[in-house]
Amino acid sequence: MQGPAPLWWPCSPQTAQDVASSCVGRTGAGTAQRKEGAEEPAWVPGAADGDVPCLPRAPLGHGTATHRCGAQWCLSLVGVECVLFNEEYMTCMWGSRETLTANYSLYYWYENRSPVEECKHYLQDQGVSIGCYFNRSEIIQFQPFRVLINASLGSRTLKILSKPMELQDLVKPEAPVNLTIRNMSSNQLQLTWTSPYPKAQCLEHAVKYKSNKDTNWTHQVKGDIFSLPSVDYEKYYTFYVRSKINSYCGSTQLWSEWSVPVVWGSNSTSKGRATDVPTPLLWRCAGQGSMSPQLFPGTAEEQLHWFWIHTVLIPIASCLLLLVLVVLLVRMERVWVILMPRIPNPSKNFDELFITHNGNFQEWAGVPKDVVESFRPNYSENICYVSELPPKDSCEPLWESGNHPPSVMPGAPAAPREHSPYKNSYVGV
Amino acid sequence: LSHVMATTFFRSIFRVLPLLLLLSPVNSSSCAMGNRTTQIREKYENILSHDIDELVNMSAEYRDRCCKNKKHENSKVFFCNDTQEIESLQSMACNMLRFFHKQKISKDYRWKAALVSCGTLQVLQCKCERHKKDKVCMQVNTHNKDTEKSEQSKKKCNQEFCELKENISSLRSCWNKFEKIIFR
Repeated sequence: MQGPAPLWWPCSPQTAQDVASSCVGRTGAGTAQRKEGAEEPAWVPGAADGDVPCLPRAPLGHGTATHRCGAQWCLSLVGVECVLFNEEYMTCMWGSRETLTANYSLYYWYENRSPVEECKHYLQDQGVSIGCYFNRSEIIQFQPFRVLINASLGSRTLKILSKPMELQDLVKPEAPVNLTIRNMSSNQLQLTWTSPYPKAQCLEHAVKYKSNKDTNWTHQVKGDIFSLPSVDYEKYYTFYVRSKINSYCGSTQLWSEWSVPVVWGSNSTSKGRATDVPTPLLWRCAGQGSMSPQLFPGTAEEQLHWFWIHTVLIPIASCLLLLVLVVLLVRMERVWVILMPRIPNPSKNFDELFITHNGNFQEWAGVPKDVVESFRPNYSENICYVSELPPKDSCEPLWESGNHPPSVMPGAPAAPREHSPYKNSYVGV
Repeated sequence: LSHVMATTFFRSIFRVLPLLLLLSPVNSSSCAMGNRTTQIREKYENILSHDIDELVNMSAEYRDRCCKNKKHENSKVFFCNDTQEIESLQSMACNMLRFFHKQKISKDYRWKAALVSCGTLQVLQCKCERHKKDKVCMQVNTHNKDTEKSEQSKKKCNQEFCELKENISSLRSCWNKFEKIIFR
């Protein structure tokens, strides 16, 4: 039967008395199983090492794996974690508040060096031992260190033997302190700090920072000094630093906690914009986890004040100004005419034409009547025949020379009423 | 009487002298004398530590299931003695060189381990007691490994590999100790 991974495994009891020994199953890191002839189940490691046998009738808790199969409970402890805090003291933990209620004892030794000793200072939670505290005199680095944890419940005892540990690889330094920002030339900032860890040459540091306009933090692993080139004086920067033992002195992934932050820059809601040169605001944090209150007088109130100005007053004032301008524009025709000039209307010049002369353009224009008549389509003009009276004593009339009828007009039309393009030519005198 | 005393005196001298001659090679160091901790530290940080990191990373890539809960011979060479870090490093480096010809270990791994050993001896300016091992360093330093085809397959876990892996781990720890304690 499988339960929620990775802490559950099936339990196949063989005898009523030997319930614990029959636990067979797996966790995310390996398998607990009992081999033939063995008294206690043994741990077959997978991805992780460690002996994790079974202990019966134990409740489920943090750091343990249990399974319920009928009336049987199996327990396994996933291991012990040791951390050296700034090389001042060490804790080895095997449980937490939810750890099952059993009697725990820890024994430790340094391989080929010292006898086995029991923990002198247990760490307890609600009466249950969950760890061991080691002071500086009990810590030896660069010597393989091993612990054995005995967990007893009733008549059964569980023994967990750890792998050899190198304590120099389990050092967690304290967070850096005294973060200080200096203004260098050409818009460059320099961040320095000090570390409570005694051997500074064994540390590497990581800095994370962002401005008030950024959404993500920028991470950089640096030496002892961090420089930020080309800062923007309009922005507000926040810096954090943490430390780790470098690869020259150990092999660890244990970073310290982040330091108390230090800030730099001009807050955009401040009145600093009125000045020509923005004044950088420098804070120096007094100690870990503490900040002097007088360094931040009324910051929240100022921020609220500027919030109301920016989001309420300024928009309302802008709208009112706009409204006034529109009203003025509409009311003052002089301004309106300049902005919206009138379209020229020449109709006044033609009032006489339409009112007095009823649209008679010729009459309004003063065109002579006969010219007007000549433009009419049915216009006809009588031909005016012009003839020359012969003199009294002169020769015969000209018409006698031929049979031609007298032609009074050279080229005169035979049908004077015909439409002809020449009919309008003036033939009479 | 004076004759007997003279004979006794010379006999005692002649007994002591051979003893001194016998013991002297054990006490003499094959490392260069002088306080060179600053130079050693610079070379370790700038050059050797990177090769050691690469070698440790290579160790993690090989199967080591057969190495669990095994105790090895010559375990004394795996300790970094207090105030004798340089001598301990020399001992570890010389011991590592004997794996150079072990065919059961991957060739890339052997070469890298030999490179680190020779680098350690060079930085410390030490020599191994057996001159045969110095020839390994000459071969490693002059031979261009990159031109050879690197192995594609990884070899099975074996005890020689486990010993070498533990030796490498001890060497790295001893260097860490040297670096940490040097500015005590």
